[in-house]
Parts: sequence; structure tokens; C-alpha cells
Amino acid sequence: MSGSFASLNTALSALRYNRVAMDTASQNIANVDTEGYTRRRVEAATAGTPTTPAMWSRNQNAGGGVRVSGVTRMTDAFLDARVRTEHGKQSYADVRQAVLDRLETGIGEPGENGLSAVMAEFRSAWSDLANNPDSEAARSQVLARGAALADAVQIQARNFSVEAGDQRAKLTAMVSEVNAIAGDLAATNKAISVAQLDGSDAGNLLDQRDLLALRLSELTGGKAVQNGAGGLDFAVNGVPLVTGAIPGALDIASGVTATADSDGNPVTFSVTHPVGGTTAVPAGVTGGTGAVTDMLNTTVPAYVAALGSVAKSVADGVNAVHATGYDEAGAAGGPFFDYDPADPAGSLKILITDKALVAASGLPGGVVDGSVADRLSELRAPETSYQQLVNGFGATVASGRRLAASQSMLTEQVAGARDQLAGVSLDEEMLAMVQYQRGFEAASRVLTTVDSVLDTLINRTGLLR
Amino acid sequence: MTINRVTQGMMMDRSYLSLQTGLSRLAKTQEQLSTGRILNRPSDSPTGTTAAMRMRASLADETQYSRNAEDGLGRLGQADLTLSSMLDQVRRVNELAMRSVNTLNQNPAAREALAAEIDQLREGLIDGANATYLGRPVFGGIVNGSAAYDTSGAFVGVQGDVQRTIGKGVRVSVNVDGPEAFGPDGANLFDTLKDLAASVRAGTTTTTQTGMASLDTARNRMTSALAEIGSRTNRLERAAQSAKDSVLDLTSSLSEIENVDLARATMDLKMQEVAYQAALASTARLVQPSLADFLR
Repeated sequence: MSGSFASLNTALSALRYNRVAMDTASQNIANVDTEGYTRRRVEAATAGTPTTPAMWSRNQNAGGGVRVSGVTRMTDAFLDARVRTEHGKQSYADVRQAVLDRLETGIGEPGENGLSAVMAEFRSAWSDLANNPDSEAARSQVLARGAALADAVQIQARNFSVEAGDQRAKLTAMVSEVNAIAGDLAATNKAISVAQLDGSDAGNLLDQRDLLALRLSELTGGKAVQNGAGGLDFAVNGVPLVTGAIPGALDIASGVTATADSDGNPVTFSVTHPVGGTTAVPAGVTGGTGAVTDMLNTTVPAYVAALGSVAKSVADGVNAVHATGYDEAGAAGGPFFDYDPADPAGSLKILITDKALVAASGLPGGVVDGSVADRLSELRAPETSYQQLVNGFGATVASGRRLAASQSMLTEQVAGARDQLAGVSLDEEMLAMVQYQRGFEAASRVLTTVDSVLDTLINRTGLLR
Repeated sequence: MTINRVTQGMMMDRSYLSLQTGLSRLAKTQEQLSTGRILNRPSDSPTGTTAAMRMRASLADETQYSRNAEDGLGRLGQADLTLSSMLDQVRRVNELAMRSVNTLNQNPAAREALAAEIDQLREGLIDGANATYLGRPVFGGIVNGSAAYDTSGAFVGVQGDVQRTIGKGVRVSVNVDGPEAFGPDGANLFDTLKDLAASVRAGTTTTTQTGMASLDTARNRMTSALAEIGSRTNRLERAAQSAKDSVLDLTSSLSEIENVDLARATMDLKMQEVAYQAALASTARLVQPSLADFLR
């Protein structure tokens, strides 16, 4: 049999439970916009009947009330892992696309001011000189357009090298952000294991842990795995960066110097871990750093090299024909363009400054002939290879844009799925609040009823009027 | 995708995403309309870009060919004009020589007058042979000087082809060298005239008649040079015309690839504007209500 005050206790437990539930609902509502917040749910359990049967006592309580069995964080480790993966890919696609867009704008094709137009104008100037081989104006025109051609090639090459410089600086900043976050993640892991030991609520720490791991995935495309102590271990392309409470350090092993200059090698990474020592990270890092690395290792050098071969073919082609000609005084023509074979696109320049030295004539002896200028006006090969280069680059940019767009749909879908589970619904919380309010009111009524029953029993029973 | 549980955050994110999508479409169409071009960067259409670049290069070439042809026409025109007027003068010499042969009893003074006129005409013809176009002697070949013949009537030019490129790999000579039009030095038009004047002066009928025969040869040579000029002029005119036609064709094809279809883009803009406004309106309706409005 239960005691006379058992119902009072039951009502009290209901009051307590509803209070906790309302606290949780208000916490959810308060954090509706907090980044990384996962909604909480109060788990209730009936109190009273012991789960372990006792030998000499029986529990005959009709009910022992309710108790809070726990506050659950509504999350799914698999969804979280998927979100991290997709965010890593998204970040790779977005960073890559932003850089490609900038580079593409610098090319300035198709239009009246692109390199293609400048090359056509250069040929046109030779043609004009072929028409009037003795015209000083036509000679200066050839020199001016030649200089403009060299400038246009150099400007394009410089755009790419400036962008590469920016990206190296960005990579340095990204790597130091990775290291700062890795440190935070390790500290959070430690705090979580401590909180689990002393039994305090680790929910906020877990939110923070997930947020940090997500940012690390965006930066490096690495993978996070739950360790036994409630924390997340993080590995970049298979190389452990954070294990439990111990953070490692991501370093740029080659490619970028401490002052964010190029050291001439491809960019590679290594991780220095206090326990595991220094390990080289295999190629194929994704995320933001991976995108920057690909730009620096592949895209920019490939374009500059192709532009270099265009510059080389312009210079070699013009020089070869020019050498067969004779200048105004009848002397054999010298080289017209000059370049540094190590960097043809960045160093293309015009060698001739005296317009009398332009070798337009195909015949010696100072006669007025324009046959060499005419041949130079038909030098089309560099234009064709430049067109192919621009076409290829345009296709790269376009496919990158499509990839980024389709990846963004996928990311959005996965994030939506996660939000379905973890996001706070205001309507839901509002309903819960009303429900708990009613529960609280009903429990209070129970209290009043029991009180009145006891009042009857104590004050009225046995009295005869 | 099946949505089991919709939260306010999800709806906000989705609404924002669709607003962004609509706005970026609007921005793209707006860019096309304001620049008037569909191709603003290579990635808009890589193949279109290549085609546009090729067309631009061909356009520059054809414009240049047409300019080359015009220049050649000017040069040939000058040669044509000069040769025609020179032929008239040669005809006049022929008349004078004929007169000196026919009137056998002429006195020395009359013969002297005829000879003097022939000398005058010869000088005029030498002047004609030194005619220039843009400062270059048209009969001087590739000489780096301003005259084709000196005062004695000797060729001082340098024989050589002056060519104009009027199409890809198509070159046309636009000059007639002095010796080609007036005969080789020593037996050229001016030498013939000199000998003729001397024989008229001396009154030797036989040499005058030989001189007149040589003059005929010279005249034939000039006429055939004139015919040659005529046929080349025709060729250049055709080339100039076809280059101009190509320029027109290419310009319109280029515009087809590069430029925006204004009517269509405006329609697109209007439709995207409507879609964007609808997205805005639905978002505004979605974010307004909450259960809080109905609970008391």
C-alpha cells in the first residue's frame, strides 16, 4: 500500500518534469537561429516500480510519478558524416570556381581588346607595311602593334602569376586556420570526455565539436570519426590530424615558402603529430585547400605554359621570317622579338626600336619591296593555338560551374535532411510548451485535489456537529 | 525527397536559395541585355568563343584584303591613266613623222620644226614615264627613288614585282616595269624617239620610216601593257568586291554568335522578373504566420 502522501509526491514529480520540459522547449526556441545547434528532446520515464525484483518487499504503488530519464540531442552520426563530406566537396568546387572566374575575366576574350584581336592587328600592320614599304608611318605602326602584342601576352601571364601569388597567401592563411581549429577540436574533445566522466550535460560541447569538424572538412575535405570518448578524431586524406585530445599541425611541405612565395615545386602537405611524428599527406587533398592546391599545381602552370608556347611560336615565327628580309638600308633583318625560354609568356618583348631596322624587303640593296612583310602578315599559326587554349580554358570554367551547381543541390539536399532531424521547429516547440503548460496545470490540480482530500481527512473526519 | 519534418530554418534556407537562384538568373539576363552580348566570357560558350575569335580574325583579314586591293587599284589606275595619255602623245609623234615623210620637198626649217616638236613630245613622255603614286614612280619597279627614267631616257628604276595580297595566298602584281611598257634600254621608246627626231631633222626618209616602224612596235608594247593593266584591274576589283561581301557576311555571322537577341532577352527578363516576384511574394507569406499568432 502506498502512503497517504504518495500522490503528493507523484504530483510533485510531474511538476518537476514539466518544468524541465518547458526549460528545454525554451532553450530550443532561444537557439532557433544558432549555427550548429541541435534540438534537444526531454525523455520521460515512469518512476516507481523498480526494475530489479526484491526478495522480501513488494511494490504495490499504483504509480510513482514521472522522472526525466535524459535530454537527447536529436542527431544522426551518419547524416553528420555525410554533411561533412558534401560540404568538403562543395567548398572545393566553390573555391575553384571563384578562382577560375577571376582568371577568365582577365583573359578578355572574345572581344575587340583580347590578345586574339591584338594578334590580328599585328598581322594587319605588316600587311599595311607590305603595301607601302617605304612609309615611315607603316614601319612605326608595325613596331607599335608588335609592342602591344608583347604587352598583351605579358599582361595575361602576369594576371595568372598575380592570382597564383594571391592563392599562395590564401593557402598559408587556410593552413593556419586549419591548425587553430584542430587545436580547438582537440580541446573540445578533452572537455567532452571530462563532462562525460562527471556526468554533466555535454550537449553544447557536442554542438561545438560538430561545428569545428564541419569547418575542418570544408577546409581540407578530411574525415572525422567518433572515438570512444565522445570526441571526433580527424584525418586529412588518411593522415591523422587530431586524435582525441591531441592536435597535430598541418604544414605546407613544399611549393609555398614562409613568405608565401613559390619555391618552384608543386604544393604538398605534411602533418606533424606529437605522437605519430611527421607524415607526408598523399596528393588528392580536397576541400578549400585542395582547390587552391590544384590551382597552384595544375591549372595556372598549365595555362601559363600554353600561353608561353603561343608567345614562343609568335616570336620564333616572326623572327625566322624577319631574318630572311632586309631592312631599309638593305642589311639583313635581325631578330624582331625576344623572350626568356624559361618563361616565354612573361618575358616576351620586342627587340627592334629603330623603325629603319624593320626588314620588310625580300631583296637586298635597299630597294622598296614588301614581300617579307607580306609573308609576315600571313603568319596565322599562333592565333590558332591561342584560340584552342582559350576554348579549352573556357570549357574548364564552364564544366567547373556546372559541377559547383550540381554539388550545391546535393549539399543542400543532405543539409536539408540533417535539418529535418536536428532543426528547431517553432510550431513544434509551441505545441510542446502548451502541452507542458497543461501538464503543469493538471499536476497542480492533482496537488489541490490531494490537499482537499487530506483536508477532509484531517479536519472533517470524526467531527459531529 | 520526402520531407518528414519541416522546420522554420529549413524553409528560410530554401526560400533564400530559391530567391538567390531567381536573382542570379535575372542578373545574367540583365548582363546580356546591358552589354548586348551573349558571349561575355569564354565559358559562356567555349565553342562559340572559338568561332567568334576565328571570325574576328577572318574579318580583320578580309578588311585588310579589301584595303590591299583598293591600294593596288589606285596604283594600277595611275599607271593606266598615264599610259593612255602617253599613247596619245605617241600617236601625235607618228603623225609628225608621217608628215615629214610625205611632204618630200620640205625645207630644213619645217623639218627642224617637226623635229623640235618630236623632241618636246619626247620630254613630255619621259615626264609621263616618271609618274608617281603616293610618291613612288609607278614604272620604277622597286627602286628606292622618285624617278623611273632619267632625262636622257635611260631606265634608272629597279625591275621587280610589286604585289598585293588580295586573298589567302593570292597575290597580284600591281606594277608595270618601265622596260616592260617602254622597251629595253637602248631600244626603248625614248631612244626610238631620239633617233626619229634626228632622222626627221636630217630628212632621211628611209631611216624615218624605220623609226616609224620601231615606234609602232613601241606603241604595241604600250597597248599590250595597258591591256594587262586592265585585266589586273578587273581582277582586283572583283577581289575587293568579294572581300567587302565577306566582311558583311562575317559581321552578320559574328553578331549572330556574339550578340543578344534583344526581343528574346527582354522576354526572358520579363519572365524571370515575374518568377522572382512570385518567389518574393510566397516567401513573404511563408515567413509571416506562426503558431504564436494563434495561441493565447
